[in-house]
Amino acid sequence: MRSHDDNAPSKFWLKFFRWFCKAEYKEDIEGDLLERFDLRVEKQGAKIAKKLFVKDVLRLFRPSMIGKSKGKQQLNYYGMFKHNLKITFRSYLKYKSAFLINLIGLSSGLACALFIYLWVSDERSVDKFHELDSQLFQVLTMHEESGAINTQEDTQALLAQALEAEIPEIEIGIQATPSFWFGKMPLSTEEKTIKTEGRFASEKYFEVFTFPLLYGKPSEVLKDKSRIVLSKSLATSLFGSPEAAMGKTLSWQLLQFSQDFQVSGIFEDVRHNSTEDFQFVLPFKVFAEILGDGVHWGNYNALTYAVVTKGTDIAILNQKIAGFVKEKNPGSNVSPYLRPYSDKYLFSNYENGVQAGGRIEYVNLFSIISIFILLIACINFMNLSTAKASRRVKEVGVKKAIGAERKTLVAQYLQESFLMTLIAILVALALVVTLLPQFNIITGKEISLRFSSELLISLLIILVGTGFVAGSYPALYLSAFKATTILKGHVKSSLGELWARKGLVVFQFTLSVILIVSVIIVSKQIEYVQSKNLGYRKENLILFANEGQLTEKLDVFLDQLQNSPGIINAGATSHTIISGGSYTTGVHWPTENPDVNTRFGNMTVSYDFIETLGVEITAGRSFSRDFTTDISKIILNEKAIETIGYQDPIGKTINLWGNDMQIIGVVKDFNFASLHETITPMFFKLDDKFLTNILVRIEPGQERATIERIESIYKEYNPDFEFNYSFLDQDYAQQYAAEERVSILSKYFGGIAIIISCLGLFGLAAFTAERRFKEIGIRKALGASSLSIVRLLSSDFNKMIAVAIVIAIPISYYFMSTWLEGFAYQIDLKAWYFLSAGLAALLIAWFTVAMQTYKTAKVNPARSLRSE
Amino acid sequence: MGKHHLGEFEEIVLLTVAILHGEAYGVSIIEEMESRLKRSVSIGALQTVLRRLEDKGLLTSEFGEATKTRGGKRKRYFTVTNLGKKELREAKEQRMSMWNAIPEISLND
Repeated sequence: MRSHDDNAPSKFWLKFFRWFCKAEYKEDIEGDLLERFDLRVEKQGAKIAKKLFVKDVLRLFRPSMIGKSKGKQQLNYYGMFKHNLKITFRSYLKYKSAFLINLIGLSSGLACALFIYLWVSDERSVDKFHELDSQLFQVLTMHEESGAINTQEDTQALLAQALEAEIPEIEIGIQATPSFWFGKMPLSTEEKTIKTEGRFASEKYFEVFTFPLLYGKPSEVLKDKSRIVLSKSLATSLFGSPEAAMGKTLSWQLLQFSQDFQVSGIFEDVRHNSTEDFQFVLPFKVFAEILGDGVHWGNYNALTYAVVTKGTDIAILNQKIAGFVKEKNPGSNVSPYLRPYSDKYLFSNYENGVQAGGRIEYVNLFSIISIFILLIACINFMNLSTAKASRRVKEVGVKKAIGAERKTLVAQYLQESFLMTLIAILVALALVVTLLPQFNIITGKEISLRFSSELLISLLIILVGTGFVAGSYPALYLSAFKATTILKGHVKSSLGELWARKGLVVFQFTLSVILIVSVIIVSKQIEYVQSKNLGYRKENLILFANEGQLTEKLDVFLDQLQNSPGIINAGATSHTIISGGSYTTGVHWPTENPDVNTRFGNMTVSYDFIETLGVEITAGRSFSRDFTTDISKIILNEKAIETIGYQDPIGKTINLWGNDMQIIGVVKDFNFASLHETITPMFFKLDDKFLTNILVRIEPGQERATIERIESIYKEYNPDFEFNYSFLDQDYAQQYAAEERVSILSKYFGGIAIIISCLGLFGLAAFTAERRFKEIGIRKALGASSLSIVRLLSSDFNKMIAVAIVIAIPISYYFMSTWLEGFAYQIDLKAWYFLSAGLAALLIAWFTVAMQTYKTAKVNPARSLRSE
Repeated sequence: MGKHHLGEFEEIVLLTVAILHGEAYGVSIIEEMESRLKRSVSIGALQTVLRRLEDKGLLTSEFGEATKTRGGKRKRYFTVTNLGKKELREAKEQRMSMWNAIPEISLND
């Protein structure tokens, strides 16, 4: 007899033996094993006996001993599986409403999660397609200004070559201009002219970036100053086909500059997941020639990219090059800084020289939302299954009585939830496929559902994860019942179970309220940004490019516009007004602190521009044709005056690029860049060169006629060009397209979250009502009104929602105030945002519950009390 | 000569079962073999051979009564069948005739 564990053989190995051994041999061989073990314990001691026991078992593990009964066992499992499946389908059929609630909830939750997954993976893929991605960096410039560090993409046009030549870790340094600098530039063949975006780029551009060339060699296409590389679609629209375009000549124009180029290569159209979009590329040398002596260490007229040696520690390299510009240009306040090229899209914001988020915040936000929504959907499933459990306990009891083990039951319920999830995934996939075009419109993307291995793995993870989360609680809860108590009919919901169910509802609604609050605040902020007083009226302003022959007769053109009916005023500027323009640190004044460089926004303008834009002049005067010397005068904004510190600025002088300029006027601060940035000092300067944009303010009411008039005047001056214009307020709205999209998306997802939550609540309410069917009957028979019964049944739920609201408000307050910090101009977080979200959740929930309970309350008590 | 050729280990197992006569089950067979032949035998090896011999019809087996020892598992007792006896005898005769055929000189040291 082995009464002590010390003298018993290893349980594991014994189990192993039982598992593999042929059934007909099992009994006597096991007996032999044990007898032999006992003998050995006596002779050699327990330790050796145990060791030899394992050896014996292992030596029994041979073909002649291993059971061939596998087939029979599988048959058995298969049988159970089939049985479970049948039970599952029967329960779906029996409790149709619960099944539908689960299916709708889970599949819409999964569809949301899938959409968000597609969106997030698309966001993450942006700019990752370049072959050199891991070595590819963009060189930013960190400007120390007035004690803060300002991070810019613009760099000196000399930086790329200097870095490549002097820093051994940097293998290649190239430069390029961003395509938005020059807007649409005209390219003409003999037959036609097309205006489109292009960029100047160094010789090695196509070697560094993976924009595949259909024709031409990457190392040669930009080799000399007469070459141009076109995109496939541009080549097709100019010459009919890419083949036909090769070697052809076309002429290019920018302001007063023009030149003929020969097509030396064709690249595939830039993919939608590239941050840089352009239709043609010209050699950077051409731009450098235009700049002429403007190329020096104080001017920022290119973007710089670097390919670093594999395995370089970027942190160390950044330290090493921090003083690079200051050595070249003593007195400079600029340090170059390398940022991984593919971080440009998601990690674009820098605060005081430190990376501070960017679009990645939206990506994270949506990832969290998708998890929230999935969780809410899973909670529905858990709640409904446990609630439903009381109706299925008899099944569990009978199964247990005839020998089902707990794990079999767990397996059964997990199988049920997995099946449910699988059906839901299929429905969700169908939903995604049908709604994808709509989704693409909202997000402005070109996402397609491709069954890549990554997607399939994600689906599998979602299936397993959701199946487990949704099925685990009912599985563990139901299978824990004791057969005897169930069959005696003594099943009471335990307090813990009740709490768990309530807790889940509270959790669910907390998430929903947080989502509603976020939706309200995000859309309010977007609205605020769109409608903020910019310091000028952005309505009824038309913007178009100054190009072609127009540049030569700009004055006359503007004059004619001003004298046309429907047009209030017209002017021209070097600035884009919306997205920002050029900056300079070339402003100096006598009391300036020589160690601090201050960046001034540079708005070179024509006469009447300030009036056209409608910026208020608070002191002095605007530029006027009455004074012939206004070309050497300057107008500053209030912020600039504040920075300079002049008490009575009019008539004083400042120094701009080495020339003394007299201040003739001061304008009220207005937004001349993105609202993500605060207003910085800026100046207006009069000039007739570099005026790339023409701005016209028209009278409201007859826009169409006025625009046609402008177009006909435009055609007189510029017959070869098409008149492409835009409204400033629309351009402005476009700048916040990302936020706008986030706002729309979050509305949808918030809505779906609350619908799924309510579905669950609806199911639970139905269940409670059903359980208290008889109680309600008795209450009614004793004279209770329907309304009091509705109140009775919904009071529990109301309490849960109230708790959820109380929990959700501080959490959402925290999240939203963090989000708002990313904006220079923020709305105040008002109490009613939170209260209305809470009230909305409460009302929706109450409505859901009341609908269900009212139905029950209306039932004639005779029906519910008839049979007992 | 029989249809089956008896292997060396098979022959020893068969002989041991015969020796134990009615008391032959797994552990007793092993004990007997170990004490007589001073060779260690694993249950795996023994049981494989026992079942093979049973398949060949040289052994039969039946369960004994359950006892409190051995974790309540019954013993399986093996007995040699007539075919088994015949096979053993044949093997012995073959050996004997071979022994007899050895010239005396070759066995001398």
